[in-house]
Amino acid sequence: MTIGTALRSRLDTRSDDYHANVAAMEELWAEVESELAKVPSIGGQRYVDRHRRRGKMLVRERVEALVDPHSPFLELSPLAAWGTQDPIGAGMMCGIGVVEGVEVAITGSDMTYRGGAANPTTWAKGHRFYEIVRENRLPLIVLNESAGADLPRQADLFIRGGQSFRDLTQLSKLGVPSITVAFGPNTAGGAYTPGMSDYTVFVRERGTAYLGGPPLVKMAIDEIVDEETLGGAEMHSTTSGLSDYLAEDEMDGLRHVRAIIRHLRWNKLGPGPSEPNDPPLYDPAELIGCAQADVRIPFEMREVYARLLDGSRFEEFKARYGDKMVCGWGSIHGFPVGMLGNNGILFSEEATKAAQFIQLCNKRDIPLVFCHNITGFMVGSKAEQGGIIRNGAKLINAVSNSAVPHFNLMVGASYGAGNYGMAGKAYNPRFIFSWPNHRIAVMGPKQLAGVMDIIARNAAAGRGIEIDDEMEAQLQEQAAALEGQIETESTALFSTGRLWDDGIIHPADSRTVLGMAISAAHSNVVAGATEYGVWRH
Amino acid sequence: MSEITTLLIANRGEIAVRIARTARRLGISTVGVYSEPDVNALHVDSVDVAVAVGGSTPAESYLRGEAIIAAALANGADAIHPGYGFLSENAGFARDVEAAGLVWVGPTPEQIELLGDKVAAKRAAIDAGVPTAPMLEIDGSHFDGALPADMPLPVLVKAAAGGGGRGMRVVRSVDDVGDAVSAASREAKSAFGDGTVFIEPYLERGRHVEVQVIGDAHGNVVHLGERECSIQRRNQKIVEESPSAGISEHTRDALCAGALALAERVGYRGAGTIEFLVGTAADGSDGTINFLEVNTRLQVEHPVTEAVTGLDLVELQLGVAAGERLPIAQSDVQFSGHAIEVRVVAEDPAAGWLPSTGTVGQFFIGDAETGSGRGDGVRVDTGFRDGAIVSPDYDSLLAKVISHAGTRRAAALTLARSMRGSQITGLRTNLDSLAEILVEPDYLAAATPTAYLDEHPHVVAAHGPSGADEVALLVAAALADEGWQRRSSGSFGFAPTGWRNLRTTGQRQVWASARGLERHIEFHVRNDSEQASREGSAIVDVDVAVGPWPMPLDDGTLSDDERERVAVRILEREISDTAARLAIEVDGRRLRVDADRVDAPTDDIDVVVGGQVGGQTIHVRSAVGAMSWTLMPRFESHHGDGDGGGPVCPLPGTVIAVHVAAGDRVADGDVLMVVEAMKMEHKITASGESVVTEVRFAVGDRVDTGDLLVALEHDGSNQVEDESA
Repeated sequence: MTIGTALRSRLDTRSDDYHANVAAMEELWAEVESELAKVPSIGGQRYVDRHRRRGKMLVRERVEALVDPHSPFLELSPLAAWGTQDPIGAGMMCGIGVVEGVEVAITGSDMTYRGGAANPTTWAKGHRFYEIVRENRLPLIVLNESAGADLPRQADLFIRGGQSFRDLTQLSKLGVPSITVAFGPNTAGGAYTPGMSDYTVFVRERGTAYLGGPPLVKMAIDEIVDEETLGGAEMHSTTSGLSDYLAEDEMDGLRHVRAIIRHLRWNKLGPGPSEPNDPPLYDPAELIGCAQADVRIPFEMREVYARLLDGSRFEEFKARYGDKMVCGWGSIHGFPVGMLGNNGILFSEEATKAAQFIQLCNKRDIPLVFCHNITGFMVGSKAEQGGIIRNGAKLINAVSNSAVPHFNLMVGASYGAGNYGMAGKAYNPRFIFSWPNHRIAVMGPKQLAGVMDIIARNAAAGRGIEIDDEMEAQLQEQAAALEGQIETESTALFSTGRLWDDGIIHPADSRTVLGMAISAAHSNVVAGATEYGVWRH
Repeated sequence: MSEITTLLIANRGEIAVRIARTARRLGISTVGVYSEPDVNALHVDSVDVAVAVGGSTPAESYLRGEAIIAAALANGADAIHPGYGFLSENAGFARDVEAAGLVWVGPTPEQIELLGDKVAAKRAAIDAGVPTAPMLEIDGSHFDGALPADMPLPVLVKAAAGGGGRGMRVVRSVDDVGDAVSAASREAKSAFGDGTVFIEPYLERGRHVEVQVIGDAHGNVVHLGERECSIQRRNQKIVEESPSAGISEHTRDALCAGALALAERVGYRGAGTIEFLVGTAADGSDGTINFLEVNTRLQVEHPVTEAVTGLDLVELQLGVAAGERLPIAQSDVQFSGHAIEVRVVAEDPAAGWLPSTGTVGQFFIGDAETGSGRGDGVRVDTGFRDGAIVSPDYDSLLAKVISHAGTRRAAALTLARSMRGSQITGLRTNLDSLAEILVEPDYLAAATPTAYLDEHPHVVAAHGPSGADEVALLVAAALADEGWQRRSSGSFGFAPTGWRNLRTTGQRQVWASARGLERHIEFHVRNDSEQASREGSAIVDVDVAVGPWPMPLDDGTLSDDERERVAVRILEREISDTAARLAIEVDGRRLRVDADRVDAPTDDIDVVVGGQVGGQTIHVRSAVGAMSWTLMPRFESHHGDGDGGGPVCPLPGTVIAVHVAAGDRVADGDVLMVVEAMKMEHKITASGESVVTEVRFAVGDRVDTGDLLVALEHDGSNQVEDESA
């Protein structure tokens, strides 16, 4: 028995509109793709060459050599720090893959950018990554080499930086294994990474760990000592005991990791896929044409579902009530999911319907997928008098206290309190992935500029200032500038650069990415909430 | 007349299977015999009952005449067919068989004795008017006279007994004749117990042509035409055909008439072969004919005669042995078309035809007859099947494959196609050489002297598919393997193969072929939709680069990418547990490929780990040829304790070379030892600068998975590189 019945698509994939929209979407994706292409050699060719000259592999080459052949690898937040002063990707690689048949989390520093030294975004990205590791209970592999903190930027780093070591020990306490391979220096704070890991592997003549390097030791206690004696792989393997496995070379280090994963005898705690995982009736490649490149143009969320869900099967909940919120059940790669998606803004009916649906899924331990295309809650006297705040509060109560895993797929806009109602970033979803057309802000740029314009005009009126031609031009210029600024600050790239999501993906990959995220979440227990806050009736 | 109702087959291998086939068709019950290594051989399964006759060597088993006769009597057999080899030309055994009241399927003991002595046989041949060069009989083992006028140099000194090239000497100077006689006599004495030798002219660039005869006990003899068996290695035939395409009608008639005359003269009973060497005259026409010997038994290559005459020689043998009259007269014998037989042997042609023994993995002969009766395939006579053991105690013959067509060219090309589509794994075979011979221009032009293989070293060294074919088979192996690995993967198994959201490289693999090639391949499956991976029905595009990927140079930059790019489409892929069928298109050329996988010998060592499947061997075969590819492990094995140690053995095998000694200083990548395993040479290398403390195995030693081969101590003098940024 399967869940639901097959959705029928009404998308005309032969129309000019469709093709024009696909072209616009592809253009948005091309921009993302060109940014992604910069990441592996973000440190610059000179430093890449130097790294290789030392006989070392780049971090992504290590990942390729580590994961199971032909298995998929999902890199998380690859464009973190985009649009900031930090390097795109933040000088570290994070992702989810398969090693020895086990779904694991892998991270590694990019030694080619400032010697793998951490910048503020590195810590933020790492913190988010550890959150994913902990919440989803994924065995952790750290491919480490780092000069430690980027010292000139210590003010932005030092205080929060200690979190990663706390994260590591807490993982250990929770029974989530951590394996660190020291491929190069692990200096100062970096030395705690192996120190706090369950297992450590040091690569001979490469991996080192010391709290203070030879220069600092000379400064502090006037001892002159070489690196190997101070903190070399062999010393740590034979004398200090910091290293559990001494690897002959980089590949051997990765081999040790695989051997350790084998002895974990790792079992996922969540249920396995229970539904048939047949492909959708409609090609997921068409997802790119389901959403609109211009988020101001509405689109039908069921067209997205028809290309995300197994067999395009969907059992809709309350189809004729609060129809701007499309709720119902289906499955993705065999994992049962509750779907919530927007076909317009939130009214009281949409909010209460979604709140009920979320409670039902919690009772049944069914994970939730939120497909955002939301410009906000309805405003105006009718909405207010109808209790939009009271009913919106129910939705916020539901998403805040829901305990099943949440997955956000940003297929369009996510503005204002609508983002909160759809369990946005602040509501701690397990994973958030965005399509390249995604826009996110407190409200649409035009609305925001318009609101500010009205406020400015009202202020002028309040002070009794008459708006002459010159001032009118100035106000219009201000409004246009503000709209442009907000436009820039609400793009998918801007959002992903600030770690508001876990990555921008090609829409056609949504089923694969969501499948991997949902599967990873099932490494932990999947159990619904039993308690909520007070419901405002 | 003595009816045969139960036949004991005193042989093994393909000939025992072949004799049993005819017996079964005639309703004759069969009794087989087997040695200990053969307890489960195909020939034992081909007979109704079989009797154990002893140990592993021929002397302990198939040569034990008494035990065989006892087995026949105990199991109600009324006749014994000796096949070829073993006891087939042993007159004493034939006599014992008859004395035991059993029918001997063969010539009379007297005929075997007479014709088995090459000197006596040649005398008889000369007396019967058989065309032949003269011979000079040697009295004793010394010769110090001059060669007679009709015996020009070079000459051949030959033993009267035995065969197979032993006791033979070619002499090119009159001064050497005496020594050659002494040596040949000595060798013949020790090998056959008879030191009698004789001298005859040595025909260079001759052809080996033989005539099949069969006679009954009533004085009727017919010849069944000739066979040419010139292509030989170490005086052993490897390609045989009928008729001979290299002799004139006149020569053919002379040979057949001569053979018949000799058979008639001795009243020959049963099947026999009169062998000749036909020299080449200065103008290229047939030259001197020399009678060689008579084989008083069924020949290995009899199927080509059966093909062109439509007769079943074993059926005729059984009839005349039972005392029946030959059912055919000479005028009834009609010849149709051309037949060629090749002998597939467990030998490595490129290594001087070194015998190869072991366990057969896959045993597959391409285009084998389907049994439709339309002759739409090749005939395969074999005693082997999947999993059979090829023992050093027996002949290296794995199979005879016979084609029959209207023309010699068609027969050759049909057989070549069969050879290309054949695959026998676990051993070295001559399949590739045979495929090459059958399409080689001199062969197709029938320019085939006995020196053919010496004069065509490239066919001997043939190693199967090359160029685009080799690439296609490599790609097929890699994609079959990819299908198997993804099929067995439970984690994120739904994702497209090798999926990345940030791709830096494709899947990189190193494969080694059974003939020692090493190929790097990098591929990226572009549109592995769920549909494709689940149902195997959709077309999948694969970008493939063949050749070593860019590697860092000394200055850290990558070497130039000079790889061959190949556009591949998987058009169809059906995968079961151990076999796969693929239709792949490589640069626009579609090829159907069958693939079989062999599970790695163990999954419990570092180099062969779960999900990793290093050491996995994939056998691929197609109409363009067959190859075996082994996926090289990604990870080198290091000694388990992680400190010093040294390389451990990746697979069970034998040490075939040791390149270092204790105390040697070695550098990263230096070859320390070579281990042959799975018929491949594995180089055992050093990782990092180190000093050899102990070489733990010597050449010839058996080594097992995980054995520490060479103990190394790391050289501590290395400088730790400065890593500061």
